[in-house]
Amino acid sequence: MTIKERFLRYAHLLFIIFVLTELFLPDGTRRAPLINYAIGFASVIEIMLLTVSALSGCRKKIVMFTDLGIVIFTVLLVWELMTTKFNLVKPILFPPLGVLVHQFIEDIPEIANNIVSSLGIIIQGYVLGLIGIPVGLFLATDKRISSISGHIAGFLGAIPPIVYIPYGIALLPTFRSVSVLVIFLATFWPVLMGTISGVNHVDKRLLDSAKVLNLSRTSTIFHVVLPASLTQIFVGANLGLCISFILLTSAEMIGARAGLGFYVKNYSDLGDYTRTIVGIIIIGVVVVASTWAVSLIQKRLLRWQS
Amino acid sequence: MILFLRICRNTLINSSKSQASPARNEGTDIPRFIHDIRAPGEQKMTNNNKKIEIKNISLTYKGSGTVFQALKDVSLTINDGEFVSIIGSSGCGKSTLLSILEGLRTPSAGEVLIDGKKIEGTGRDRGVVFQQYALFPWMTAEKNISFGIKQVKPELSKKERLELSNQFLSKVGLAGARDKYPRDLSGGMQQRVAIARALAMDTDILLMDEPFGAVDAKTRVILQELLLHLWEGDGNSRKKTVVFVTHDIDEAILLSDRIIMMRANPGRVYQEIPVNLERPRSRSELVKSREYAAVRNEIMSLFFGDIKDQIDQEAVI
Ligand SMILES: Nc1ncnc2c1ncn2[C@@H]1O[C@H](COP(=O)(O)OP(=O)(O)O)[C@@H](O)[C@H]1O
Ligand SMILES: [Mg+2]
Repeated sequence: MTIKERFLRYAHLLFIIFVLTELFLPDGTRRAPLINYAIGFASVIEIMLLTVSALSGCRKKIVMFTDLGIVIFTVLLVWELMTTKFNLVKPILFPPLGVLVHQFIEDIPEIANNIVSSLGIIIQGYVLGLIGIPVGLFLATDKRISSISGHIAGFLGAIPPIVYIPYGIALLPTFRSVSVLVIFLATFWPVLMGTISGVNHVDKRLLDSAKVLNLSRTSTIFHVVLPASLTQIFVGANLGLCISFILLTSAEMIGARAGLGFYVKNYSDLGDYTRTIVGIIIIGVVVVASTWAVSLIQKRLLRWQS
Repeated sequence: MILFLRICRNTLINSSKSQASPARNEGTDIPRFIHDIRAPGEQKMTNNNKKIEIKNISLTYKGSGTVFQALKDVSLTINDGEFVSIIGSSGCGKSTLLSILEGLRTPSAGEVLIDGKKIEGTGRDRGVVFQQYALFPWMTAEKNISFGIKQVKPELSKKERLELSNQFLSKVGLAGARDKYPRDLSGGMQQRVAIARALAMDTDILLMDEPFGAVDAKTRVILQELLLHLWEGDGNSRKKTVVFVTHDIDEAILLSDRIIMMRANPGRVYQEIPVNLERPRSRSELVKSREYAAVRNEIMSLFFGDIKDQIDQEAVI
């Protein structure tokens, strides 16, 4: 790739326009807009784009990242024009970018604590929910049990786990344990259903291959049935992760004293919309990072697929 | 030559008269290219080189409200080290018969003996190559083979297994594909790996159900040559007993010592045709020979007779 191909992109032009706007367009409000923080934030993104452009060997990847850059810089530019530059929206509900970034940096310890709290619950409930895989493998080996447990899982899985919260609070000692229970249920049923359906759809020819190789029952389950159902299992696992985050943040808004949902709910109750917005964006980042981590595992385990 | 043709015809006439007595050797008059193939009746007395005995097996498929007799009273004896092909129009029960030998299905009546012992299910004495999906898609070529070896020789270390796998991958000309997953291999390459696995497992018996049925014509020829070459070996090593299902007549003649022709409705053995062509064989030599043409013509006429009968039957219905 030539240097021109690598670096001549609209995203970088937009970055320059953004910086110039920040520096030379006069401020339309009397609030301190903290443009240094805004420019700093945009620069961090720009540096990431430049690094990818310089190092990546894949043209598609560069295009994808710089396209993403275009979207981000456009949003940032529009945001700044609407808020601090022309003062078109309510300042208390829409703080300038610099204020948001500044608030985020100030709150890093608190946010980190909340992330740890939320992720701790998610991981605990999620890993427990993955018990659905061995349970599914076990149940699905018998036709009749598999059919009836499929129906039961369908019924129990259809109940939105959030409705268990009030009952869970009566049942369990801490709100944290209730959250773990809810995440467990949100993961367990989809994973179980995915596993059962995966096992039921294993190609018969693969099972015949296993038989003529004289595989033992355990060996057949671990070396043939499990890998063959992995795609379906991941469908369930990804669905479970998605639901888990929705449920956890909701639960944290209802009754928790910690966590990202609590952070957002608490500060919006106090009328601090800067932190509310920061919290919302952080939740987005955490969810994306988590699903990305799971998708990496999925790619690794399913690398034999096209 | 004329003598040979006469023997050949006699043989065929004999076997068409009675299924139980196919090839009959005419004592001292056997030309050089005729192998020592004895009729089942004679083998019963010697008894020591019978590998597979299929005794009066029938198989009925029972669906919801439907009953279908796929095999009726099939008897067949296959000698140790013999390469036998089963041909016949589709639906005549070839796969059903093979699945019984594989141990995947139990006959409704009759039994199969291997080395004189009745088979119950699958066994480590038989290696199988399916038409498709023989390999596990989540294992590399090397892993597929070594996994197969592990099942028959659990005493080998992982290193020994991998060494053996690579040795057999080289034999089928795929040394470079060891770390590839089946999705990165063409259909022909996948079948080569499957054959390599079956050979590496070193079972006495190889069962193949249209192993080259899903590959293109050119690859098919290459695979046939490869199988022929690997099975014939250097002529000294002990040969495996092979039961090979195909609907390609030329393939059957090229590879086999004996061809079993089946017929449908109900599935049964119709003819046994000995292929007494000199080994080691090569396709280019074979197609030029008159013996080959004679056998081929004979089978062709039987085959098309079968098809004609089927059409007539349907016309009556
Ligand atoms: N599982 C099954 N249930 C019912 N009928 C079957 C089944 N498998 C095969 N058949 C029938 O049995 C006959 C023989 O099938 P098969 O052994 O596959 O024939 P071939 O391999 O010679 O083409 C066919 O008519 C087929 O429709
Ligand atoms: Mg078939």
